[in-house]
Amino acid sequence: MTDLAVEVRGLRRVYQARRGAPEARTALDGIDLDVVPGQIHGLLGPNGAGKTTLVKILSTVLLPTEGTARVLGYDVVEHRQDVRTRIGTVFGSERGLYARVSVRRNLLFWASLYGLSGRVGRHRTEQLIERVGLAERADDRVEELSKGMVQRVHLARGLIGDPRMVFLDEPTTGLDPVAALDFRALLGELLAEGRTFLLTTHDLDEAAALCAEVTVIDRGTLLMTSNVRDVGRRLAAPDRVDFDAEDNMVLEKLRGSGLVNGVSELDKPGRYRAEATSKESLTSVIRLLADEGITSLSTSPPTLEEVYLQLVGDRGMAV
Amino acid sequence: MNILRVIAASCRMQVAETRRVPAQMLILATSPLFAAMFLSVMKRNGDPTVLTNAVFAPALISLWFMSLDLGGGMISNERWQATLEGLIGSPSRLGAVVFGRIIAVVGLAALTFVESYVMARLVFRMDVRIVHPLVFVLTLVVTLFAMAGTATALAGLFVLSRNVLLFQNSMTYPFYILGGVLVPVSLLPFWAQPVTRVFFLSWSSDLVRASMRTDAPGWAWQLAVVAVLGAAGLVGGLVLIERVVRRVTATGSAAMA
Repeated sequence: MTDLAVEVRGLRRVYQARRGAPEARTALDGIDLDVVPGQIHGLLGPNGAGKTTLVKILSTVLLPTEGTARVLGYDVVEHRQDVRTRIGTVFGSERGLYARVSVRRNLLFWASLYGLSGRVGRHRTEQLIERVGLAERADDRVEELSKGMVQRVHLARGLIGDPRMVFLDEPTTGLDPVAALDFRALLGELLAEGRTFLLTTHDLDEAAALCAEVTVIDRGTLLMTSNVRDVGRRLAAPDRVDFDAEDNMVLEKLRGSGLVNGVSELDKPGRYRAEATSKESLTSVIRLLADEGITSLSTSPPTLEEVYLQLVGDRGMAV
Repeated sequence: MNILRVIAASCRMQVAETRRVPAQMLILATSPLFAAMFLSVMKRNGDPTVLTNAVFAPALISLWFMSLDLGGGMISNERWQATLEGLIGSPSRLGAVVFGRIIAVVGLAALTFVESYVMARLVFRMDVRIVHPLVFVLTLVVTLFAMAGTATALAGLFVLSRNVLLFQNSMTYPFYILGGVLVPVSLLPFWAQPVTRVFFLSWSSDLVRASMRTDAPGWAWQLAVVAVLGAAGLVGGLVLIERVVRRVTATGSAAMA
């Protein structure tokens, strides 16, 4: 047994050639991943990176081609029934529920599938309906709900078996900003109950706001796993200096100094950003600006988005 | 006991869905028309010995039609509404969910028996006398079970096949003949009769007729045959659905094609 919530070693998944897809496709190519219990671990990557394939394998609905994966200490192939009784999966889609029947009927049905007896199932259903804030709409058909509400039903469905490990597959895709914020707040509350979450997303703000650690994957390969703050440091990107300048001469001096990769104007007029070529040159850049009489300046590490874009290169968010 | 709980929950889910989409049970609207057609022919013909066929053949046809229709679409519908992965990833067996849903539809489709009876009594003023009500009720119950078991097998078979529509279309009229629904199996050529006996409906048809005659010898073992054939269908269906689950987890797709 291991203390890790998820332990993945050398995981490969190859989709064999079929009609319509004449060539075999490697979705995961030797992934290693550790998820520490009691936190939200983000899985970042563009569409087609292999995030959903990994979640499918961890939630036992897809077999790996090679390698091993353990969830809460149980092998997803050898002990899939043990895994299934301990996990919940939340899909980021309006589908995946019985749209024509009520929220309550959906949850009661899934409660039975997770082995909850009638009374326990009813109690758990009512508890979750209350928890996700749908008490007023519990008897409405799922198809009558807004996207944000449907996503709450998905979350309730994922929690029906009281799982210690929850997989969230792009749960806020398509939600408006308010609904997404509500959903994230709800996740924060659930995290306090000691559950572990693996969140796949390509929303960098979401990952930065929710996750303790993030793993970046692309084309089936793990690029890095790190603390959200460490991601910036690990990449060792040149630090940035934001400053106010009214004189173009200062900008010319900076560009000609060899200390910066570039100087760009920010949204606010007269506000600029210089990217130092190295940590060492950052001090020289600040000194140069101070010598020119500029005192309104600040430094900042690269954002997660900048790190992410550098890691996945030009593909960015593209498919 | 959990499997019974899952079957019951699936049954309730199907009833709830059918209430929202009554068109799923369109057969309840068309079955009386079939009954009227059969009864008209019988009345014109004037032969009272075919009364049972005229009254209950439409109901048996409706049941078989529903089984084919359901079997073809049950797992595909789950896939279409993206609930299939959730079902496979749950601790319960997909086969129990499919069987539970099918029981609900077959149970609702059994109302066609009532419709046919009412049509014969009230519209055509015919004296439909069930001489052995116990035999009739037991036959109905065991036939519904066998129908649900067979539909479960069809659900697994169809999702693994490349051409569901071809299967569905070719399994209607020939099976009404093989099932002794339109004419008693004893009237078929002798070489065809052994084939009919592996199809539970042939025994059910005979039992329905026997329940309306003064003599109904050997009904108990004939009922047992229907139950065994239904159970065989159910077991076969559960095995096939397990194969579907293995295929989905191995290939990421339920389709053969």
